[in-house]
Amino acid sequence: MVNALTPTTTERAAPSTRSSSPAVDGRARSRRRQAVVAYLFLAPTLLFFAVFLILPLGFALLLSMSRWAGFDLGGIQPVGTDNFAGLFADGSTFLAPILTNTLLFALGTVVLALAGSVVVATCIDNLRFQGLWRTLYFLPIVTTVVAVGNVWKYMYEPGGLVNGVLNALGLGSMAFLQDPDTALPSVVVVQAWASVGSAVLILTAGLKSIPESYYEAAALDGAGPLTVFWKITLPLLRPSLLLVCITQFISGLQSFALITVMTKGGPGDATNVAALEMYRQAFSYGRWGPASAAAFVLFVVVLVVTLAQLWIFRRKEEDA
Amino acid sequence: MIRRRFPWLSYLVVVTGAVLTVVPFLDMVMTSFKGAGEAGTLPYHFLPKAFDLSNYRAAIDQLDLPVLFRNSVVATAVITGSVLFTSSLAGYALAKLRFPGRNLIFRLVLSTMMFPPFLFFIPHFLILVHWPLAGGNDLFGRGGAGLTVSIAALAMPFLVNGFGIFLMRQFMVSIPDEVLEAARIDGAGEFAVWWRIVVPQTRPVLLTLGLLTFVQAWNEYIWALLISTANPDVMTLPVGIQFLQDYVDPTRTMPIVMAGLVLSILPVLILFLLLQKYYIRGVMLSGLK
Repeated sequence: MVNALTPTTTERAAPSTRSSSPAVDGRARSRRRQAVVAYLFLAPTLLFFAVFLILPLGFALLLSMSRWAGFDLGGIQPVGTDNFAGLFADGSTFLAPILTNTLLFALGTVVLALAGSVVVATCIDNLRFQGLWRTLYFLPIVTTVVAVGNVWKYMYEPGGLVNGVLNALGLGSMAFLQDPDTALPSVVVVQAWASVGSAVLILTAGLKSIPESYYEAAALDGAGPLTVFWKITLPLLRPSLLLVCITQFISGLQSFALITVMTKGGPGDATNVAALEMYRQAFSYGRWGPASAAAFVLFVVVLVVTLAQLWIFRRKEEDA
Repeated sequence: MIRRRFPWLSYLVVVTGAVLTVVPFLDMVMTSFKGAGEAGTLPYHFLPKAFDLSNYRAAIDQLDLPVLFRNSVVATAVITGSVLFTSSLAGYALAKLRFPGRNLIFRLVLSTMMFPPFLFFIPHFLILVHWPLAGGNDLFGRGGAGLTVSIAALAMPFLVNGFGIFLMRQFMVSIPDEVLEAARIDGAGEFAVWWRIVVPQTRPVLLTLGLLTFVQAWNEYIWALLISTANPDVMTLPVGIQFLQDYVDPTRTMPIVMAGLVLSILPVLILFLLLQKYYIRGVMLSGLK
């Protein structure tokens, strides 16, 4: 360490009679003091992680393998893997439609948001006032899910904006959120609408890193704009596209606030997703065990995607 | 310059997209002015008959808006303050101090980002229920409702943020050691070095992290809903507005709900518009949301 080598630090340390070298002794002392200070600085963080990270993880794991109702800690009964088996048993709604809905919701969001943001980001890149456009596209992201959900829910109603537009075009009204067939796609559209802004942001940064000389070379060769987009822009944008894909997919797998606001999982289980099912089992029915088991199953799904992301990006770095 | 060959097509796409993004917000504002029987009825009209502020007055009265506002402000301020303080201190220790266990703790901080928030709703709630010596609980956390009925419960699970620590640490690594050393030679303790040199040098990052945390905390819904169910006195803005929407006749209250939403969005919107450079950098850095 630099500080231990400076003369002043050594001078400040009290001279030791036992040590043969006062410099070495001072260095050790300063290092000890720094360790004490470091742990003092980290104390709130470590305390928090102990109480709100490690303890809850252990507790949740215990609950996922227990039968327990109510709040009396003495009533927790270990049941092994029964809760997990129950989730995948015949007649359970967890695998289908709930987990299937979760995947469809995440996948649909990614596809829509990605398609929208690629087109928008490519076009913004051609324009002036890029900051202004980005700001507009960003509005949904800083807005609470309660606002986004309620506004869209209201717009989907028979007297709302969407049906108003359909009627103006001479089309019939649709019961977007009440019809089991259209409910899930309808909330997917809202989730995608709300996440286009951040995807545009990441993609615009990716576009900026493509050297202008590639485009100039393509222009010299007489390539058309579509060829340029397919042969230059898209391939060179791949890392950003991948980042958008995976982060949106992960957040799609676990988000349920929007669904809670818009449909509460209904009609029936048409828009029920795994995280919402966990929440309801726990806080509506007090079935902590099955709820925690559902949480861990979803966690494994998210973890697999996260690890795939790490693996893909690490391989990318090695290739580079 | 081939990229600039079709500006009109680009304008068309970008403007269409921007309209699609902004229209729901405009619909919200317009609905907030609509009178009884004017919203949610056929045929649909975008513009209200008159720009009447009565829904805003109704929102303030019916929603108990000042109380909701206070609860939201308290929770958001505590969370943001705590995240900034702990991230900066821990980040400094991990970036600039040498001590045994440093790599292990840094790895722990990184690994916290792997755990999705939904995993913690149940255990966090149960831990707060059984918090010792709070809300009628005995030393072993039995007998009462614990911390779930306290306003502190709104903030507690969000007081420290692994990403925040990581962000601060990454920026502090680049502060030259000589500067810190010079201060130590002048007799400054580590706390003074942190407060007088490191904090001022990292002000832009603190602003970014503060904004991200503020917006997230202000908009938080699921956890606040849970705590508000245990104690309605600590309801935050999003929860209170959703409560009105859920339990009162929706067609009649929709304009009032929209008025409440407009008021609840305004603080974040103003902050975002003023400081968007910092916020956008934060989203880029987290690559998450």
